[in-house]
Amino acid sequence: MMDGYIQEKIQKFEEFVDGHLKPQLVRAIAERDKVFEQQKVFSDLRRNIENLEKNSVTSLRTMVNLGSEVYMQADVPDTQRIFVDVGLGFHVEFTWSEALNFIALREEKIARQIEEYTRLIASIKARIKLVCEGIRELLQLPAEKSLPERVF
Amino acid sequence: MEEAAAAARAAAAGKGTVTPFASLFPSNEAQKAAKRVEEKIGEKEKELDCINEFVTENANLINLVSKLPDELNHEIMVPFGKAAFFPGRLIHTNEFMVLLGEGYYAERTAKQTVEILTRRGKVLDSQVESLKANMRDLKAEASFFDVTASEAAEGLVEIREDFVEENPSKKSSKSGKFLPLHPLSQLALLGFSPQSSPFNFQAINDKNDNKNDAVEDDEYARIMSRLDELEKEELEAEDEEVDAEDDDESNVQQHDAAESNDESDTGEQTDATESDSESHENMQMEAKSNQLPHQIHSETTKSGVDSSKAFTGSIVESADIIQTNSRQQAVTSPQASKPAFDSSKATTGSIMEGGDPIPTNLQQSVTSSQASKPAFDSSKAFTGSIVERTYNLPTSRGQPTVSSQVSNSQPSKPVSRFKMRRP
Repeated sequence: MMDGYIQEKIQKFEEFVDGHLKPQLVRAIAERDKVFEQQKVFSDLRRNIENLEKNSVTSLRTMVNLGSEVYMQADVPDTQRIFVDVGLGFHVEFTWSEALNFIALREEKIARQIEEYTRLIASIKARIKLVCEGIRELLQLPAEKSLPERVF
Repeated sequence: MEEAAAAARAAAAGKGTVTPFASLFPSNEAQKAAKRVEEKIGEKEKELDCINEFVTENANLINLVSKLPDELNHEIMVPFGKAAFFPGRLIHTNEFMVLLGEGYYAERTAKQTVEILTRRGKVLDSQVESLKANMRDLKAEASFFDVTASEAAEGLVEIREDFVEENPSKKSSKSGKFLPLHPLSQLALLGFSPQSSPFNFQAINDKNDNKNDAVEDDEYARIMSRLDELEKEELEAEDEEVDAEDDDESNVQQHDAAESNDESDTGEQTDATESDSESHENMQMEAKSNQLPHQIHSETTKSGVDSSKAFTGSIVESADIIQTNSRQQAVTSPQASKPAFDSSKATTGSIMEGGDPIPTNLQQSVTSSQASKPAFDSSKAFTGSIVERTYNLPTSRGQPTVSSQVSNSQPSKPVSRFKMRRP
């Protein structure tokens, strides 16, 4: 009787971990990675704009990717005005300084988001650990020895 | 009646079996397998979608590239990083940089770019084709699993009865054929390999009996019977030869057997001349060939009685060598011509065994008829080993004393030929 009950419980716990918590963790990590990417995009953009400012570039010639790694030369006669993606498919025309302000705000927000996701991930991991401990207790296994403290 | 008998036989042999399909393929297992295959198909479908996307993209790009040069420049938003654009325009609309791979780019015109892109498109098409074929296979597999699962669920049974049981005689005969073959071939191999190897040569010389081991091979038996015939002839010939051999032995140490032979061999020479009175050359040839065997005999006779037999055998195998020897001797030996039957044996052997020796014999104008008279078969077992002797012959002529030592270190050339002849 008892054994069957315990087995059932353990199976429920494992299903919870495998079917619920772990996918959650994976999703959270993927989300965070996306935000990391955004962070990189905006930091790159900020650095590029700063570069333009520093070198006081007024016209620009670049290569445009037409797709499938086929490039064509493009000419930008005026670099003063820049259209920055503000989300939801909208692009706003900025001057360099305006763009830099926006990017700073955006980066701040992204950093907050990253922190949020990191916390979420940590909590999911903690929950997984908790359930695993519960299973261990149900099985009446001895507690794992805590890993030795890392010495730096 | 017949059916009953067959059934009884099958039952007796325990061959007829009735197996419920479900036990072979449990329906849930089959369903699992079908599920797995379905998953695979899903993956392939995703892959296919991806490639199809590439294909359409490629087609669009071809369209774009072919249209871009129509105008001198195009107003566009130039991407600046991933999140920003500059208003700008495309210039040099007939110049494209195309990635060739590995970070190498080529500057191409619109037409050339289109060519490259169409080639890429073909590759994509072939990929699509292979993927589709793959998916067809998987679908067939999945349907098979589905059918199996449903059949197993319906409680189908598999009745298996081996057809072979109906005519056991065939089976047994087949197996019977096979079994005897193996021992035979093994015996033949065993019998042969030791003889052919130079190391065993000496031992074999002393003990002719060893030959018998190899006799079991069909072909070998055939050869052996022929050799036996020749041996008889040779024995007859040897009786005549004895005189000459004695002379030879004494002469060997003198380096030049020919000189000593001159006097003693006259009688035998007459024999040869009788057979072919006209061919002076023939006589010479015989003499040459005779000398070789003589020397050999002298050496071999010392070591063992059978040596002469062995020698002849070797001659057969390595007819080439002998011939060369005879040529060398030809200059010196004409006067010395000893009528040795061995030489003739050697020639006959060569004729029988291999095609190579024959032409050379002809050149030397040795008539086969003469050669055929002297029989030499003695070399049943010796063929492999014999080669060594013949090889030494030339050297022995020049340096008679050395020859005996040299004989041991015989190259395996003849052996290889021998092997090649064997099936």
